[in-house]
Amino acid sequence: MKEMVRYGFTLALICVISAGLLSAVDMLTRSKIAAQALAEEQAALKEVMPEAAKFTEVKSGGEILYYRAFDSQDKLIGFAFKAGGKGYSSVIETLAGIFLDGKISAIKVISINETPGLGMRVAQDSFTRQFKGQDALSLSAVEAISGVTISSRAVIDSVIKKAQELKELIKNEK
Amino acid sequence: MKSLIKEFTKGIIKENPTFVLALGLCPTLAVSVSVANGIGMGVAATFVLLGSSVIISLVKNFIPNKIRIPCFIVIIATFVTIIELCLKAYSPVLDRALGIYVPLIVVNCIVLGRAEAFACKNNLLSSFLDGLGMGIGFTLALILISAIREFLGSGQILGHTLIKGFEPVFVFGMPSGALLVIGLLLGFFNLLRNRKT
Repeated sequence: MKEMVRYGFTLALICVISAGLLSAVDMLTRSKIAAQALAEEQAALKEVMPEAAKFTEVKSGGEILYYRAFDSQDKLIGFAFKAGGKGYSSVIETLAGIFLDGKISAIKVISINETPGLGMRVAQDSFTRQFKGQDALSLSAVEAISGVTISSRAVIDSVIKKAQELKELIKNEK
Repeated sequence: MKSLIKEFTKGIIKENPTFVLALGLCPTLAVSVSVANGIGMGVAATFVLLGSSVIISLVKNFIPNKIRIPCFIVIIATFVTIIELCLKAYSPVLDRALGIYVPLIVVNCIVLGRAEAFACKNNLLSSFLDGLGMGIGFTLALILISAIREFLGSGQILGHTLIKGFEPVFVFGMPSGALLVIGLLLGFFNLLRNRKT
């Protein structure tokens, strides 16, 4: 009995020290991590729409629906959105920028964990640059990489699907 | 002094965690698809191994024998989480490259294995050297496996194409290919060892 209390006490003490250490580290790093995430997001947005000078989030219920892109004169020039589709072994997340006329500015794969040498190739420029100037609702001229159909279709279909959803949302903005 | 050197070098060849102790094979299978991943996982695991070995050898007299495993796991998990938070805050590039592999170190049985088999019985210096040696051994093993897999599976080493026109064998990019490579390497090293004795 006495032993058991001692064991419990020792383990509790170790856990308390660990928890204290972790919350201290968390306090020190939290604002830094948030700032890093924000900077990374802005950099990614800039990549899919280099013409824009500023992006603002459009939220609904705490979730980011899409971004508005403004040029240096604060004129709305387009939108950016995240699309996610199930690939072969992961959900492939893509960031896409579209101009007001519905043509794609550029896309960038931001989260992917597919088979190296196969599915991972959809993140490469040789695949993503096909999207430039395409109509976001059809993407008719984008070709899947041969042998990488599932991952390619995941990117293409998720962008089309999200663009269709957004079409309704942004109808009133033009 | 001589025994200290031995504590350091044994993890690299004689008791290599992957090829001799056969510890931590699960993350090895998952991570060794490319050399960059292998190096990242190896370095991160080495840091955790060093930290946890040192701390556990410091507190070993304080921890009752019967509850040592939960205590070790809490210490290791704390260490990993601190490293993960610091990476996220100060080196997002490295954090993105290592991704899920950092939190996975918690369940890497090399770390727990060394805490249990070595650090809780030995002094600070030997535990430090043991952790460092094991970490380096693990890293080298990962580099070897991932170099073979990356070359055969995608025709590249560290993202550079070596031989133009080489048709990659896709199975080596998959976990089944990892099993084949590790199995053959294990057999090869066993053969070398048996020859010697």
